[in-house]
Amino acid sequence: MRAVRNIRLCTKDCLCLYVCPTGATDTEDGQVDWKKCIGCGMCVKACPNGALSLVPEKYPVQQRHSKEVCDVLFAWAKIKVAAETEAKALASQAKDPVEKQFMKALETSFRRQTEDIYRECGYMLPQSANTRKLLNMMLEREQDPAFPREAVQKLLNELQVQLH
Amino acid sequence: MSKYICTMCGYIYDEAKGIPEKGIPAGTRWEALPDDWTCPMCGSPKSYFKKIKEEPAPAAASSAAAAAATAAVAGETRKIPAGYGDEDLREMSCAEMAAMCTNLAKGCEKQYLFDEQKQFLKLAEYYQSKAVTAVDPSAVKLLELINKSLAEEYPAAERPIKADNDRGALRVLTWSYKVTNILQRLMQRFGAEGKALLEHTSVYVCDICGFIYIGDNPPAVCPICKVPSLKLIKIPRERLLCVQ
Repeated sequence: MRAVRNIRLCTKDCLCLYVCPTGATDTEDGQVDWKKCIGCGMCVKACPNGALSLVPEKYPVQQRHSKEVCDVLFAWAKIKVAAETEAKALASQAKDPVEKQFMKALETSFRRQTEDIYRECGYMLPQSANTRKLLNMMLEREQDPAFPREAVQKLLNELQVQLH
Repeated sequence: MSKYICTMCGYIYDEAKGIPEKGIPAGTRWEALPDDWTCPMCGSPKSYFKKIKEEPAPAAASSAAAAAATAAVAGETRKIPAGYGDEDLREMSCAEMAAMCTNLAKGCEKQYLFDEQKQFLKLAEYYQSKAVTAVDPSAVKLLELINKSLAEEYPAAERPIKADNDRGALRVLTWSYKVTNILQRLMQRFGAEGKALLEHTSVYVCDICGFIYIGDNPPAVCPICKVPSLKLIKIPRERLLCVQ
């Protein structure tokens, strides 16, 4: 386990600094230094605002859905993507700033819906077997020199594989 | 005694209960509410409410244009694991790949994996650049797409989810369905009122579910997903440059 800090809840009471045995909670970017954190949970218990919590290094496997359910949700997402594409084109060609703003809001809304659907259908965790396979397939498939291969390689190296 | 639902956000006014904390005693009839009364959740006018148990507004007939819009944006596709844990694969357009990558970027952000988030955003940007752009886009086509999805694809999606009693899937579909209803209403209003709909006010989009709020005072919690209003993100209006 390791500690994370929700900056929005932190009111700088600094009790996490008082109780941390390794100094992991004292950083310049507001986040807990995972190289130092030993997961003892003292900061979580001490924080009067609940700004700190413990997360595991390896996450469990996401709840599965049946093939049929995944299929209908991906189909529903496909419509959202088509709608986003339409709104995006409308936003980019709009001359009026108010119309542009409205189309931009629609475009954003459709994207949020699509993300939420994918999250539910096996792609919640970046550490999942699905995501890992997806990243490997990208490396195999994408031959375009403009494709950011190094981003994929970095992700394959950095993301811990989840529990199985 | 009847109930009336806000077609904008889903808030229900129950005549039997009234809203005592707002000075509307239990038993107050809908007709007795003042004409300038607005939805306590989203601020929509009284005219946006409809009586519950009425048939839902008939969606416009599906059109070939709407179907074509879905097909036209496919372009070159990629294959990804299908999502249910078997070896099966699923075809995705570049636009879908872009949304998949922003979703995974969000997954990283939630876990405080900021560098990984950045990498997924780079991938999203790449796929977005390869995505097919809509040809001759129109607000009418977009509304048709929305109408058709509510009338046809939504019931088709709901069936297997209900049959499985799959609460997670039902959650995501229900939120998206409610938001889509709100977008349908907004598109209809935009068609009728034009930019007057939002010219003198602000627009917010819920970062979690996509709910759109038009007005100056966003509700304390998103009426769809119930996230606090700090996740309702204001969409800026670009200023036109004045060249002298």
